Amino acid sequence: MTVTQTQTQTQTRNRTRIRTENPAQDRPERQAKIVIRDVGKVFRIRGTDRPFIAVDGIDLDVRDGEFLTLVGPSGCGKSTLLDLIAGLTAPTTGEILIDGEAVTGPGLDRGIVFQQYALFPWRTALANIEFGLEAKAVPRKERRERARHYLDLVGLTGFEHRYPHELSGGMRQRVAIARSLAFDPDVLLMDEPFAALDAQTRESLQEELLRIWEKTNKTIVFITHGIDEAVYLGQRVAVMTSRPGRIKRVIDIAFESREGDLRADPRFGAYRHEIWTLLRDEVAAAQEQERTIG
Amino acid sequence: MADTLAAVPAVPATGTPAGTVPAGTATGTPAGTPAVSPRGDVPTADDRATNFFRVAAGVRSSALPRLSLLLRRTAALALLAGLWETLPRLGVVDRVFAPPLSEVLVAWYDLLVGGQLVEHFQASLIRSLSGFALAIALTIPLGLAIGWYRPVADFLSPVLELFRNTSAVALLPVFILIFGLGEPSKIIFVFYACSWPILLNTISGVRTVEPLLVKSARSMGLSPFRLFQKVILPAAVPTIFTGVRLAGAYSILTLLFAEMVGAKAGLGYLIQDAQFSFRIPDMYAGIITISVLGLLFNLLLVTVERRFSTWRTTS
Repeated sequence: MTVTQTQTQTQTRNRTRIRTENPAQDRPERQAKIVIRDVGKVFRIRGTDRPFIAVDGIDLDVRDGEFLTLVGPSGCGKSTLLDLIAGLTAPTTGEILIDGEAVTGPGLDRGIVFQQYALFPWRTALANIEFGLEAKAVPRKERRERARHYLDLVGLTGFEHRYPHELSGGMRQRVAIARSLAFDPDVLLMDEPFAALDAQTRESLQEELLRIWEKTNKTIVFITHGIDEAVYLGQRVAVMTSRPGRIKRVIDIAFESREGDLRADPRFGAYRHEIWTLLRDEVAAAQEQERTIG
Repeated sequence: MADTLAAVPAVPATGTPAGTVPAGTATGTPAGTPAVSPRGDVPTADDRATNFFRVAAGVRSSALPRLSLLLRRTAALALLAGLWETLPRLGVVDRVFAPPLSEVLVAWYDLLVGGQLVEHFQASLIRSLSGFALAIALTIPLGLAIGWYRPVADFLSPVLELFRNTSAVALLPVFILIFGLGEPSKIIFVFYACSWPILLNTISGVRTVEPLLVKSARSMGLSPFRLFQKVILPAAVPTIFTGVRLAGAYSILTLLFAEMVGAKAGLGYLIQDAQFSFRIPDMYAGIITISVLGLLFNLLLVTVERRFSTWRTTS
């Protein structure tokens, strides 16, 4: 166990060093879709002058077409990091590059999927999927066609004219995923999208997400609480520290394919334990923090 | 459906011995009862979903419970009508001041045939609707602006707060001074009274839009204007409509008062005039008319509201 751990650790370190020392001829650097450099975000606590450091000194590269999962104790700033990549808030320090260009605001090159679906309740499933296409000024007819295509992709054919309240949680999340895919972003940012679903629905959606990812070659950053989910979905798992959130370690999940019962693979258990060990101390630290603040 | 029919006799839930049930009655069983899917296997998510919709659509309804509901709903009304009819006749109440319902209805019919009722009704309706329509046209945009733009809210709030606590009734003499005794003062009066529920609901409708929806729309790069048009406005519609419905009721209630203070036509005038000239049954006829008008108006608005917000969870 310790052997694997140190190996991964050194591997990661090596890669980072090479990249920073020799950026010009470094292949991974060119391939990086998202580059997060020394990013920090400080909020001011309402009604006081006290600063609240949400994330600090985050360095992370996400390769083009990669599926990266992000785990960390609650309140460690995972969602803040996602908001920063989405361009919904600006970093206090550092910068975020997408395809080498600094993020200055939200855009249709990135799509977000939220835990609470965030579907527009007055729009049908189809009209919800069309929303981003309207923002992109796609003609009406093409909008319809594309929306139908993505509704098919998430397996909801026949539910075009249902309103969100007429759909189950799993179906709503499928619509939300279809909505984010429909305007064809390069990057999909997912904030604990399956956390509110029951175990069975979650597993089937995880499989489906992998299928969609393989089919569409999107770069996916996926936040989760579940270690199993992180190992199952991610090609790499980034583990964050407790607040202020930093990247503690990035672990390569070296499965050749995700066919079959991956969870029964002994390596799955090993990865799982490794991440669990990394998280245990951070969770304890986070709880300690909450106690002192509360 | 064939599976459904076959499944029915196997379940003797109806109390009739299985087999004696004719095939015809089996078709009458409410849909959505069997949990087995048409393929006979474990229901899939989609099967469960369609089943759920079928039940949610309220397919199961029978005539008998409906009748009992109708009885329960009308019992109190019937009792009231009965008391109104009998108490004056028995001498429990003075029939000069409270004539039996039948006499009031006769008076109402005479007013209708004589044409006075239509004339007063029309005068009232025009005033109410004008004030009400004016309130909708002017106040909704104002409320949207206040709810959406902080500076507008900061600028107007103190004035609005002051006026909100000034009763329309207190301002009626002012309206009459400025606009005279004719139609304008009454319409302005109704407008003023109707504006508040619409304004306050519009503001709160805009301000209480689910932040996650705004965030989601912003993440898709919507401009502030598009965000307002495509998210804030549709999300606020149900709340705005609550205000419109309240205003509908106010428009009739307040108009009546204005017509009693100074008018030569209208239902308020009819009621007041009938009382002054001691035509008591006419007075009650006017009151009944105004109640029914209010009821119908509200019913109309509820129907429109339903059309506008089919997407809302109705459980």
